[in-house]
Amino acid sequence: MSNTLNIPTRKILSVQSHVVHGYVGNKAAAFPLQFRGWDVDALNTVQYSNHPGYGSFTGFRSAVDDLRSIIDKGLTGGLGIRYDAVLTGYLPSVDALRDICELVDKVCREQNIPWVLDPVLGDRGRLYVDMACVEMYKTLLGKCTVSLTVPNQFEMETLTGVEISNKDRLKEAFARFHELYPGVQRVVVSSIDYSRGANASTGTSTVAFAEMTHPQAIQYYTFDKIHAHFNGSGDLFSALLIDMMYPEGSDTTQPLYMDAFALAVGRCLTLTHQILNRTYNLTVPGPATSDFAPTHALDTPHIRDLKLIQCRDLLSVPSDKILIAYDLCEMH
Amino acid sequence: MPRLLATQSHVVHGYVGNKAATFPLQCLGWDVDCCNSVQFSNHTGYGMDRVFGNVTTEGDLDALLGGVFGNFSMDYNAMLSGYLPNKESVRCMGKHYSEFKKKNKDLLWLMDPVMGDEGQLYVNEDVIPEYRALALSPDGLVDIITPNQYELEILYGKEIKSKQELREALKYLHKTIPVIVVTSCSSNIFDDKSNIYCVASIRDEDPTIFQIPFIDSYFTGVGDLFSALLLDRVSKYYADRAPNLKFEYQINDIINVIQRVLKVTRSLSVTNIKSKMGDVKSMKNMELRVIESRDLYHTVPLDGHGFSQLDFTTKNYIHGML
Repeated sequence: MSNTLNIPTRKILSVQSHVVHGYVGNKAAAFPLQFRGWDVDALNTVQYSNHPGYGSFTGFRSAVDDLRSIIDKGLTGGLGIRYDAVLTGYLPSVDALRDICELVDKVCREQNIPWVLDPVLGDRGRLYVDMACVEMYKTLLGKCTVSLTVPNQFEMETLTGVEISNKDRLKEAFARFHELYPGVQRVVVSSIDYSRGANASTGTSTVAFAEMTHPQAIQYYTFDKIHAHFNGSGDLFSALLIDMMYPEGSDTTQPLYMDAFALAVGRCLTLTHQILNRTYNLTVPGPATSDFAPTHALDTPHIRDLKLIQCRDLLSVPSDKILIAYDLCEMH
Repeated sequence: MPRLLATQSHVVHGYVGNKAATFPLQCLGWDVDCCNSVQFSNHTGYGMDRVFGNVTTEGDLDALLGGVFGNFSMDYNAMLSGYLPNKESVRCMGKHYSEFKKKNKDLLWLMDPVMGDEGQLYVNEDVIPEYRALALSPDGLVDIITPNQYELEILYGKEIKSKQELREALKYLHKTIPVIVVTSCSSNIFDDKSNIYCVASIRDEDPTIFQIPFIDSYFTGVGDLFSALLLDRVSKYYADRAPNLKFEYQINDIINVIQRVLKVTRSLSVTNIKSKMGDVKSMKNMELRVIESRDLYHTVPLDGHGFSQLDFTTKNYIHGML
């Protein structure tokens, strides 16, 4: 087990949603990052009783003016904090999206620090936000400097207009993304299922990524899908990816070598999967069944809460001790 | 996994309120559901002109707690309430917590009646009757309170000038509240500037005095960390059917944890200057090192040596009985 006393903390500003109960948004990101030695300044864009996956929820959005003044008058202004990274996730309105992203873009460029943007638009064919937000994301990605973005398959499809039904189409999506959004340095597309929408599922998923200086040099890991739908898994993935991509002592302003990038994605994927597997085993009665092909989509269990607190032992493993469980592949 | 609901302040930067309570409790195995009574950029010690953000309105807090208790009515083992910014929010928290506690008698409610310190109120006066009503409710809904002496005097309704008067105040409040920890007593009882005196009392037992060396620095969030740890340790104390755990040793254990966290905080500070209110540099420097203390929140038995880098020998802070 690592000892946090030896490790100077890294600092991150994480701008995401907050739920009182459960683990999505900042609640999914903060504890894993803190446990791995990050001082997490969590700025909450909304405060809800729980995520909408429960059917009903209560709560409110933070006012855009408050969010903006907390960052520019408070954190970076009055307190003069210099972060090692900034993460933006769910922003509940076009105004919040535009104002906060423009501010974060300015801060990150001035301070030369990485901005990790999770384009929270939707999942599995369904939008969480209105079309105006989609257009705003396109505008922002077109003009801002973003170190890393982590769309899921649906978000990558929405942002590029390319449906990802096979490897060639994936290559096309990366090329299109680079054309449209040249200020984005790295892209990691999580959980690609080429057979999505088709009748028979392959039972595997792919995480594909590229340094956008070479958008044709796409690397990927393929792994067995866990037969469940998890709320918060994407937020956990992006948080852990930041931890792996920007380790203590690294110069976060320098480009990563491609193998360091692949290593970071592989370790993040491995740890995320360990946590999802344990969550599955603690939630669904009976043994984990990722060995078996799913029968019907309707049978897919919906797991609403990640068991993050029960995964402290997994979260305490230092990055260089995580053995990547998948083969690294390259597209030609 | 035990689950707890905590309603108190949230600061984006630094460690007070829910930011001071949540991570340590998560490290101890609690699922912590945080309901934020405010969202501020940082705590007020940086100077009021440097605090940005907003107070959760009564209507929003009411809807939020209604949604939480409505959707997760079976889930909680404990509830914590700390800083609430005004009368309306105290009343709203009190209403929801009371209703829930009446239906779930076994869960523990720790209320930190945050009102002021050393004769100075830092909330509006109209908050006082709300806290008094909750503390003195004949239903006896609150299980644990963590006032400082000034806050104890407000709840008691009288000034406390001697050990005898302190005993009477504790006896009076024990009619409704089983566990009372007075986190710091004032100099009119213990006239000793080099130590802080804390008195812990559980109903039907003699109160214990703890003597803690005074550190001449301005740390914020210590009280919030104390309350969080107290809720953990009292839960374990009540859950311990074979009574291995003595109440006073649970308190001693908490004081040891806090001393270790303060030691880590000072050892990682750039300088050990006495911090000044309103001075950004020293305020940032004195934020509790909650993250670096990740492995220090667990119980270490008396005379246990769990750590090598710093002298973390567990000490006995028990000074005697009140």
